[in-house]
Amino acid sequence: MTEKPKEKFVVPIGPQHPALKEPGSFLFTVDGETVTDAAVRLGFVHRGIEKTCEKRNYTQDLYLLERICGICSHVHATAFVLGVEKLAGVQAPPRAEAIRVLAAELERIHSHFLWLGVAAHEAGFDTLFMYAWRDREVVMDLLEVLSGSRVHYSINVIGGVKFDVDKELSDSIMKQMDFLEERSKYYMKIVTTDDTFIGRTRGIGTLSKDRAEILGAVGPTVRASGVKRDIRVNSPYSGYKDYHVNMITDETGDLEARFIVRIKELYESYRIIRLVLEKIPSGDLTTRVKRKIPEGEVISRVEAPRGELFYYIKSNGTEMPDRVKVRTPSLCNWGTITDVAVGHKLADMPMLLAGIDPCFSCNDRMVQVHSTSKPTQLMNWDDLRNYGIEYYK
Amino acid sequence: MNLPLHPLILLLIFPGGLFLMNIGLLYEWADRKLVARYQNRVGPRWFQPLADTIKLLAKEEIIPYGVHKGLFLSLPVIALTGALTAALYIPMFGFQAPFSFEGDLIVTIYLLSMMTLCIGLAGANTLSRFTIIGATRALTQMFSYEAPFLLALFGPAIAAGTWNIGKINLYAIDNIWMIIAQPIGFIVALIGLMGKLELPPFDAPEAETEIVAGALTEYSGRGLALFHIGKNVELVVGLTLIVIFYLGGIANPLEFILKSAALLLVVTALQSLFARLRIDQTVGLWWRLGALMALLQLLAIIFGRYLGDLLR
Repeated sequence: MTEKPKEKFVVPIGPQHPALKEPGSFLFTVDGETVTDAAVRLGFVHRGIEKTCEKRNYTQDLYLLERICGICSHVHATAFVLGVEKLAGVQAPPRAEAIRVLAAELERIHSHFLWLGVAAHEAGFDTLFMYAWRDREVVMDLLEVLSGSRVHYSINVIGGVKFDVDKELSDSIMKQMDFLEERSKYYMKIVTTDDTFIGRTRGIGTLSKDRAEILGAVGPTVRASGVKRDIRVNSPYSGYKDYHVNMITDETGDLEARFIVRIKELYESYRIIRLVLEKIPSGDLTTRVKRKIPEGEVISRVEAPRGELFYYIKSNGTEMPDRVKVRTPSLCNWGTITDVAVGHKLADMPMLLAGIDPCFSCNDRMVQVHSTSKPTQLMNWDDLRNYGIEYYK
Repeated sequence: MNLPLHPLILLLIFPGGLFLMNIGLLYEWADRKLVARYQNRVGPRWFQPLADTIKLLAKEEIIPYGVHKGLFLSLPVIALTGALTAALYIPMFGFQAPFSFEGDLIVTIYLLSMMTLCIGLAGANTLSRFTIIGATRALTQMFSYEAPFLLALFGPAIAAGTWNIGKINLYAIDNIWMIIAQPIGFIVALIGLMGKLELPPFDAPEAETEIVAGALTEYSGRGLALFHIGKNVELVVGLTLIVIFYLGGIANPLEFILKSAALLLVVTALQSLFARLRIDQTVGLWWRLGALMALLQLLAIIFGRYLGDLLR
């Protein structure tokens, strides 16, 4: 009897799947329950923001770029204004820098709580999911009191910030930080002692230090593997020059380590927020910046909750930028998934996906249409324009 | 307590059939509400399960390509029938079981397994990859919990010296609660029931973040509604069985409600306490721990009976 060639059994997760909060396609080839191959395909939520930036002035771009991500809107704006301020040769006042740090850390808290909930949900631990999201409301409310908005805070303007922190708000933030710190300690206890949860995280998706370096991973993902990579520490920007951040790393590199690193980062955020509120410098909130930004190009790096966020801005001396290039942290981390997925169980896949805290809409740069009947073709801008003219003739 | 009713009424309306389904919906609501409260959510209103069922029954049933049509349509009916038939041999609500014979315990346990078998078949019947994995997991899980669950229910039966559920009930009412004499058996039976009903943390066969809705992914409308009703009925039947065997039996309807509600409270608490187990972890847990514990319990009971005979 001849052996039949083994047919591939591919389990598709996405583009539409309950495990995914945003569209992305992951094809896992499985043998029984064990994954033997993994492939990622992105590009379902490309919105053409980079191109749109070139048609708007710097102030308008600020609001547009905030909308790249619904979770880390503040860091996108920060990265952009820092770059533009450098081009314009101005320096935001110290009080504005401090408020930027405050908002960034509040945002980090809300992002990490959100991640904790999502990751717990992927593990089927819905109680932790609900609890984490309930506590996240506290920090969302603080952001609303600070800026009037829960999601897109719009705190930054070019040359400073829009909103000030008064004594009353400062006191209430201090009070809520104590509450959140207590809750974080409780969650730390759960993720490190709950047997069923450890069964799903310990030793799962271990990313070695070497592989993490080679794959160019960033953020808590790489810090969990023991690589010291945090822009706030490596090259302090904005207010982080005044408020020192301690690098949080872990050695094991598995999912449990990523939980531990993120929760420890929460502790660090509480400490920084208290520090900022205690010694916030007084003074103006903004400096004047001319509408036309001098010619030049600049690179701006900040540490988003998910890792290093990279902006390249090129100015041609007008009110509008010549080019804005955004590289978001999720994009750097995808490689780690396909790298560690092989050999794990199918049940671990949603956890592995959640482990890097992926943000789909912020990393899609192009749309590629796969067709089984027609060959894939690439079009440049002129081709696409002609195609559109022909199509609607 | 015996009911002076026509057998057909016993079978279709009370305490079987219609009444059982409604109690099932009530228990589903209690389950969902309690889990929601444990998770700091508001939870559904009391008529939500009924509304869901009516909505599903009214919806179009889509039959996907590539399935065996007869099997696809009949499996939900068989699953529900199995669960409802199992209830006939159990003294539900404190009334005497409509039908009973020596050995109906075995029949009941097998009828309760019909649900899982039907879910497994339903999953394997369709072409979707999620359903096939769901079916494999459902059947794998069945092979792991079934033996310990069976052993856990045998304990009280051996203590009572009968295979008749009605007689075990009478024995349980007269004697000390068996949860005190056989605590290990109680734990194994309770967790076995949770595995049977695919409740968290044993919900790997329908883990939504991995395989959408598992074996039932392709079901919609009437078929899905029937599977849901069947599961609710099985929840009631399973809780009743454990109450009869381990919590001192059921002498009247009030006792039924109090004891099964208390048990449901424990089940919901367990549901919200743990993260989902992977299927390999489930199998490992049952065969390494569950089966061993149940066997130990069984040996202890047999030894105890032997000692009792010697002393007498």
